[in-house]
Amino acid sequence: MTNVMTPVHRRQAIEEAAARVITEPENSRVAARLLADEIAEEAASQGVGEFSESIAASHAAGLIQDALAAFVAARAAELDALVADAADDRFEYFGLRTVYDRYLLRHPVTRKVLERPQHFFLRVACGLAETVAEAAELYGLMSTLSYLPSSPTLFNSGARRPQLSSCFLLDSPRDELESIYERYAQVARLSKYAGGIGIGWSRVRSRGSLIRGTNGHSNGVIPWLRTLDSSVAAVNQGGRRKGAACVYLEPWHADVEEFLELRDNTGEDARRTHNLNLANWIPDEFMRRVEADGPWSLFDPKEVPELVDLWGDAFDAAYRAAENEGRYIRQIPARSLYRRMMRTLAQTGNGWMTFKDAANRTSNQTARPENVIHLSNLCTEILEVTSDSQTAVCNLGSINLAAHLRTPAAGVRAPADAIDWPGLRGTVRTAVRFLDRTIDKGFYPTPEAEAANTRWRPVGLGVMGLADVFFTLRLPFDSPAAGELSTRIAEEIALAAYQASAELAAELGAHPAYAATRAAAGVLHPDHYDAARSPEWTALRERVAATGLRNSLMIAIAPTATIASIAGCYECIEPQVSNIFKRETLSGEFLQVNRYLVSDLQARGLWTQAIRDAIKRADGSIQDIPQIPAELKELYRTAWELPQKALIDMAAARQPYIDQSQSLNLFMATPTIGKLSSMYAYAWKAGLKTTYYLRSRPATRIAQTTVAPADAIACSLENPEICEACQ
Amino acid sequence: MLLDPGMDLTLRPMRYPDFYERYRAAIRNTWTVEEVDLNSDLADLAKMTDRERHLINRLVAFFATGDSIVANNLVLNLYRHVNAPEARLYLSRQLYEEAVHVQFYLTLLDTYLPDHDERVKAFAAVEHIPSIRDKAEFCFKWIDSIGGLDRLETREDRKSFLLNLICFAACIEGLFFYGAFAYVYWFRSRGLLGGLATGTNWVFRDESMHMEFAFSVVDTVRAEEPDLFDDELGERVAEMMREAVEAELAFARDLCGDERDGMSVARMREYLEYVADQRLARLGLPGRYGSANPFAFMELQDVQELANFFERRVSAYQVAVEGEVAFDESF
Repeated sequence: MTNVMTPVHRRQAIEEAAARVITEPENSRVAARLLADEIAEEAASQGVGEFSESIAASHAAGLIQDALAAFVAARAAELDALVADAADDRFEYFGLRTVYDRYLLRHPVTRKVLERPQHFFLRVACGLAETVAEAAELYGLMSTLSYLPSSPTLFNSGARRPQLSSCFLLDSPRDELESIYERYAQVARLSKYAGGIGIGWSRVRSRGSLIRGTNGHSNGVIPWLRTLDSSVAAVNQGGRRKGAACVYLEPWHADVEEFLELRDNTGEDARRTHNLNLANWIPDEFMRRVEADGPWSLFDPKEVPELVDLWGDAFDAAYRAAENEGRYIRQIPARSLYRRMMRTLAQTGNGWMTFKDAANRTSNQTARPENVIHLSNLCTEILEVTSDSQTAVCNLGSINLAAHLRTPAAGVRAPADAIDWPGLRGTVRTAVRFLDRTIDKGFYPTPEAEAANTRWRPVGLGVMGLADVFFTLRLPFDSPAAGELSTRIAEEIALAAYQASAELAAELGAHPAYAATRAAAGVLHPDHYDAARSPEWTALRERVAATGLRNSLMIAIAPTATIASIAGCYECIEPQVSNIFKRETLSGEFLQVNRYLVSDLQARGLWTQAIRDAIKRADGSIQDIPQIPAELKELYRTAWELPQKALIDMAAARQPYIDQSQSLNLFMATPTIGKLSSMYAYAWKAGLKTTYYLRSRPATRIAQTTVAPADAIACSLENPEICEACQ
Repeated sequence: MLLDPGMDLTLRPMRYPDFYERYRAAIRNTWTVEEVDLNSDLADLAKMTDRERHLINRLVAFFATGDSIVANNLVLNLYRHVNAPEARLYLSRQLYEEAVHVQFYLTLLDTYLPDHDERVKAFAAVEHIPSIRDKAEFCFKWIDSIGGLDRLETREDRKSFLLNLICFAACIEGLFFYGAFAYVYWFRSRGLLGGLATGTNWVFRDESMHMEFAFSVVDTVRAEEPDLFDDELGERVAEMMREAVEAELAFARDLCGDERDGMSVARMREYLEYVADQRLARLGLPGRYGSANPFAFMELQDVQELANFFERRVSAYQVAVEGEVAFDESF
């Protein structure tokens, strides 16, 4: 039936179906199938039928490197046979639309697509493969949406300039003009090829500091960050998304208070940065002073340059010595600064709390004092050593946990039995091998990035779809069984990843800086937490002693915003935000509905217009809908309704198996300083290395246009005080 | 009573704490024009057809003057007669928000129309473009309707005041703007003009609150003087609403022409009728049209946003968060 539709009718049918996903989530698949037809026709109009034709057309258009074109041309029949177009049926509409709008290669002039979605997956696989068998292995994981590499790899694999890395971490500029401008240039080059940027600024002198060359006084870091803000906004990542950067500052820097105001929407615009993200890089000493309600000294880094490169006891000693010598600019109560940090989080979501000492203490890279982690990245899941000559890089990919459930998953005796553990380990092994491969296949926009990445060879394997697993197994997010399963998953992935890296080391050698790692001294990440107790870890430790590791770091939980959309699962380790919500992206806005909830309600005959309206009125919550049974209410709580302590506990229990860090968002509908300060102090004590956004809710809202008032009778004009229906 | 003439200054005890809470909630949702990124819109505009550009130019012309008209009525009529300091706090805040909206649409116009003459023409729209002139005249008629009233002395005065208030809440902010927003969201549903949509989200959020405030003033006045809102007033409201729907439809005829990608005069009519019925229902009046919402994309408006921070600025944060550092609060 679909093939007799005219393009105009089909477009309308797609939009209608997409708009009705709330009523019947199956509409999402209907829309996706129609869109798949449209894409296939568009590709056909460019002469693309088979995969090899797609590569030839893309190569002719100048989009693909010669080596990949030759690889495919020489194996055209074998590779064409791998393409499984039926795999398109796995896409939800939003996922396929994202692939179509943003990922498929387009002709530079006609802007028509030169590949179908399955061609795109196979092209990415071939861009990283040496043989057809390897390509088939990676393609198989992608086409089943079991594993997806990060967006830069999806964008650029096989391209003429294959910049495949997601994140770059730049050391703070040195405290001099030339170094600051050199960093702007580095940031611009890295952003251009779709990398997210983390950059420190703690070495740059603070406001009022003497400039010897001119005998003037410095204006501090704020004007420099303004320039960085403009520079980042100007660089558009290949036209696909805006550049993005996060600046890290240590809280002893004398400009920290103004730094925390950079994202305020009031005040002098010359001292605001609307695009930069902000993060606090916090030593334990600060948190201890907050707890003790002690003073906090603010320094000019020009006077105490040593603090940036110290952590743990050495930092504490140097900080206290500088304080005792009176070298500070001024002192403030630690709690007043902490309060400002909390205020910034509440008002902007920014000013992420990341912990310098926990990050360094447990890192595999920091065995030697000259190797220091100075910051995290744009999404706070990467923790790697940087220096003036080393820009840390990370290549990311995420496993879709929902695709590793045994079927039928519901009704198994123990939750752990529902996971396909051998399958999961197999996916990890393949993923690690290809993440490692990206280090060699990638194009590095700066020599500092190449230097660091080839020396340390870190990768960041993460997960997505944890909430899907819990929904399928009917485990409330904060239940003990969910916690246990989450930790077990993390441990299995870490074991398999380390095994894969040791295997690679045996084949190809350990990474060049291996001797400088804690692993070389027999210490693996879980050992810092006494969490490597199973015999498998013992065997692994022996194996690593014999072979070394190919990669200094392996695990990082990235936010997966876009790739989870493609895979049609919930983001990384996050609970659902709402049972009905819209997703805003560059391609427009899309409705999403919790399909697990819908099928439960459909089974009970409860998926009615009245219930849908009630959920929308309640902003995606089902808690106050009397018809819905209690066990569903418990299962389908949203992130706003879960105790955040449970999220932090789950993250902390997983931490021993995450050798980098996790993009952990926290949710608080109506934040207060008291609640926030309690929450972040708890997160620090629980041993988290980093936290990410604080998400909160607007104080007022748009009047809903498509929802019927709750109950006309409730709107009693005689008694306006109790009339809540119209508020 | 709320509409008694005078200049009440007493905040304690507070007669209408709900108005004060609305004032505080509005402050927590402060946004600034500088936060809206209109850059990506320029690329979209370049891709558009002449008809689409025509629609955009008309919309911009309407927006550029619409919020100024609302602000004028607020100063000239509403502030004068709503006699409670807490209600006037809200109106002061609303006035500021109208100013931000004017600034937003001015920035939009300057960005979208680089040509000086085009900009002048847009502001002349109120006089030269019939479909916009008609809407403006509708507004002016109701501004003038109580312009001569210095004090609300009689029952008839208070009824006139209510009509003016309802006109601005239900017909201008609640219908004209809702119509204009629908065009914006129609573009957005096709992945176009994301900057305009972001700013419009924030304007929409503010306008929703203005409308709700006005309706709660109406509720309060009705509770204080139950027989004021009689059948005769109800009929005049219904008639005013009918006029507003017709004026907005004339605008739609100018903008849309034939059915294209789900936007047409016929659909716009159903939408406006649907919205008008909602306004009537809010006032306790019978629905007049019985139309259903034809724009599925408006449903997007009613649910939580989950922005990918890489791509859009998240608008869900509050200002003026309070409290002291603590370590034992539950979270």
